[in-house]
Amino acid sequence: MKRIYILLLIGLFYFTGCANLDIAPPNVVGDETLMKSESGMKVYMARMYSRMPFEDFKYMAQWGMEYNSWLGAMGIEGTGEALNRDGICAAFTSERTPYWTDAFVLLHDANYLIETLPKYQSSFPEITYNHYIGEAYFVRATVFYAMARRFGGVPLVTKVIHYPSNDAEVPRASEEDTWNQVLADFDKAASLLQPTSPERGFSNKYVALSFKSEAMLYAGSVAKYNETVTGRLTGFGQKTGVRVIGFSEETAQAASRKYFKEAYLAAREVIQSGLYSLYKKKWAAGDVDAQYQNMIDMFSDLTSPENIYVREYTYPTYTHGYDAYSAPYIFKAPLASGTCPTLDFVELFDGFDRYPDGTIKVTTGSSNTTGEYLMYDSPLDFFKDAEPRLRAYVIFPGDVFKAKNIEIRAGVFTGTTPVSPLFSDYSYATAETRYQSLPAYTTTASKTLFLSPREGNGQEIVSYNSNNITAAGANGPFYDNGEGCLTGLYGRKWLNPDPSFAAGEGKSAQPFVLMRYAEVLLNAAEAGVELALAGEASPDGSDLLQTATTAVNDIRERAGATLLTGSITNDEAGRNIVRKERRKELALEHKTKWDLRRWRVQHYEQRDGFWGEVRDKEIFSNNARYRFRGLYPFLSTQTGKYFFDARFQWVSLKTFEYNIVDYYFAIPGGEVTKSAVIDQQPNR
Amino acid sequence: MKKISFYILSITLFSFTSCSLFELDNYPAPGETLQGEVVDAETGELVPTDQGSEGIRVRLTEVSWGDNATHNPDFFCMPDGTFQNTKLFKGKYNIRIDGPFIPLLREDDRGVPLADETQTVDIHGVTKVRFEVQPFLKVEWVEAPEVINGKIVAKVRVTRAVSEEDFQAKIEPMGGYSASFLNVTDIQLFVSYSSSVGYRARDERWSNKIEYSGTAFNSLLGETITIESNGTIPAGRAVFIRAAARINYDTPKGSGTRRWNYNEATQVLIPGN
Repeated sequence: MKRIYILLLIGLFYFTGCANLDIAPPNVVGDETLMKSESGMKVYMARMYSRMPFEDFKYMAQWGMEYNSWLGAMGIEGTGEALNRDGICAAFTSERTPYWTDAFVLLHDANYLIETLPKYQSSFPEITYNHYIGEAYFVRATVFYAMARRFGGVPLVTKVIHYPSNDAEVPRASEEDTWNQVLADFDKAASLLQPTSPERGFSNKYVALSFKSEAMLYAGSVAKYNETVTGRLTGFGQKTGVRVIGFSEETAQAASRKYFKEAYLAAREVIQSGLYSLYKKKWAAGDVDAQYQNMIDMFSDLTSPENIYVREYTYPTYTHGYDAYSAPYIFKAPLASGTCPTLDFVELFDGFDRYPDGTIKVTTGSSNTTGEYLMYDSPLDFFKDAEPRLRAYVIFPGDVFKAKNIEIRAGVFTGTTPVSPLFSDYSYATAETRYQSLPAYTTTASKTLFLSPREGNGQEIVSYNSNNITAAGANGPFYDNGEGCLTGLYGRKWLNPDPSFAAGEGKSAQPFVLMRYAEVLLNAAEAGVELALAGEASPDGSDLLQTATTAVNDIRERAGATLLTGSITNDEAGRNIVRKERRKELALEHKTKWDLRRWRVQHYEQRDGFWGEVRDKEIFSNNARYRFRGLYPFLSTQTGKYFFDARFQWVSLKTFEYNIVDYYFAIPGGEVTKSAVIDQQPNR
Repeated sequence: MKKISFYILSITLFSFTSCSLFELDNYPAPGETLQGEVVDAETGELVPTDQGSEGIRVRLTEVSWGDNATHNPDFFCMPDGTFQNTKLFKGKYNIRIDGPFIPLLREDDRGVPLADETQTVDIHGVTKVRFEVQPFLKVEWVEAPEVINGKIVAKVRVTRAVSEEDFQAKIEPMGGYSASFLNVTDIQLFVSYSSSVGYRARDERWSNKIEYSGTAFNSLLGETITIESNGTIPAGRAVFIRAAARINYDTPKGSGTRRWNYNEATQVLIPGN
């Protein structure tokens, strides 16, 4: 009995306490700490910027925003820039991690800042306070823009949603309203931000204007070029009846003009500011080597006047691994050859002999099935007149990278010269008939063609000049190993060229230029031509076509390309000059895939416009599918010279497929199922 | 000591259990079957198609559970124009099919329904449905295909299965109408080693097509069109071929997917030399 009382007494003690527990947890940083000082605001900004939907080394088109640089490669999403052996090399039709949930987290951060910072306005000078609010609008605009180009109309969450709440669910707005919101947020940001970034990595007025011009170019193109697609790519959400993708026939044209005008004005304002210029530190007129070196340096020089917005990396704390995945095979660490540019891409550039149909000439005949192969003393001779810009973007066979000769050789030919084309048919239909099935390779009695299935012991050995040489070059291509060179070419852009740099995963720290002046020039040029095509007067009195011509010529001069002889004309040919220049200049920068998407030139019916210029789609496609070509160097032992064969990708065959529905990504299924208001795309 | 830890472990384990541990998870697997066929309303013949996302798409939406229903994963008709799903839960479903025929669900450009010929049925046991549709085109073999030097030469005839007036009367109210919708844009000859030959199962080395721009094909309607295969098909094996044609109209509207009307597959032996 007594024990019960004792236990009861002890039990009672458990329920007592004197401290008032209703206090703010001291280990959670609150608004007062963050929003009262510039150092606190830096923390807030860092959080937002670390989750921005920027596409740099830590973005893979097939995977979406996963914020890591695993398998880093550029231009491999069916844009024709480059190829890769893995499944990540497929057309840009969806992202494994759809940009949806993360977007709303970031929108919350931005909206929260817009709504809460006014309470602490007195803690900052007005200009700083405005800048912070401007940053929030810039973040919001960037998120809405990233979503709009993926999905069309999206839920326009422009205020903080407090859960639980009745209006917690926001339905998708129409695509037109979404672009208008993007426009309004960029404008608001540009009006509040300081003209120069107060901290490295922060935005500023001209950053906002530059991205605005890119976004408005996208919006204007969608409004205009949806009309060229069967079915006009528009429709209403099932649940809300809102036009969640596309524009109505009545508003499309006016909307497109409005957005092009905005794009033009924003780009012009950046140009007029005089704060930026094309990078020409090492450039010298007429000196192709200087021009080439200049364009290599510009991507890693943080003091470049061309950089408008850059994501910086620092070893060892904040790094990426681009060099570990996309360098030539001899630098394998732990992988290699992630980015192999295509011959079709090379054909965009100046400095090559061509057949009458515009393809690069490799034989003496009038097409690559006729005549005999042209012979070169060294593979690099083939490229001796190539545009310096191309050489800065692409490593040619026999060129030098990191102080090493990059040996790329598809095989060795021991037969008699002159050599006739290896295949009688190079058309799309025979793309899968490869060198290893040629009789010259397979018949042992009369073998004249030597190829290597793999590196090392997999190499076939050929005796040449009383030496033994390997059939394939040190970097391949190896026909059974996709880790060697796939196309006969390697990407050079973004690789660290320093010979003393030892690549490895998480060892790279080159910056990624997310926005540069050249793009702003091209935005102005394209918007200008589009406005001229639509018969619009210049919104600021400047000459639209003159702006376009100057922009293209400035970029070409820096690139070492042939300048335009006259002014860009007010027609599709003129527009294509700008498009092609854009495809060349901004290649391998995660930009081309969006350009092809907004031009609506990826599906079969409009694919003639895929290259920016007009090229017959039948050459590289079959209905919805398409392929790209490589340029394969062979050594002829009888002459000691090299010849090149131009054919469809030989190693790790990739076929791409693009359909009209892919111009808008599907909304994540789970979001549609669990919500009463979120609509799936009406055309899915 | 060992014993104590054993007891503690077993007590801990039991504390994570609930009563359903001892119950069998016996929710029945979906076992209802839906069988359907898509036939030409005029002739009663099946509408041949391709088994893939360019063929006739079948979309089931279970409507027993309220308005905000999300449709089941789509599936596609078999090449002969029939479809079957043997793994459905019992319930009331709306069945909608989209293919190269006048859309069953027609709405105007503000989403107001004009006509709804989709079917809503209770599915239990084996449920059969039949859709009578108006295909855009009818594709027929004119005579047996010939093989010359490893190339197949096929003769096909394409006619309209729905009259131009009827098409216009039903499509125009949906908004954005253009006379160009009726243009026949291309004729395809699909070749494959597989008997399920079609757009998805074609062999790109040999399949071929003829494209027509604008109204160029109108004068060829009902005429015999000769189409050859591409390349050289290796001798000694049989291949399957099919022809298909389509008009400049996408279904469902806004998808951009222009679906083909097919004829039935036929087997061709490539003779050895």
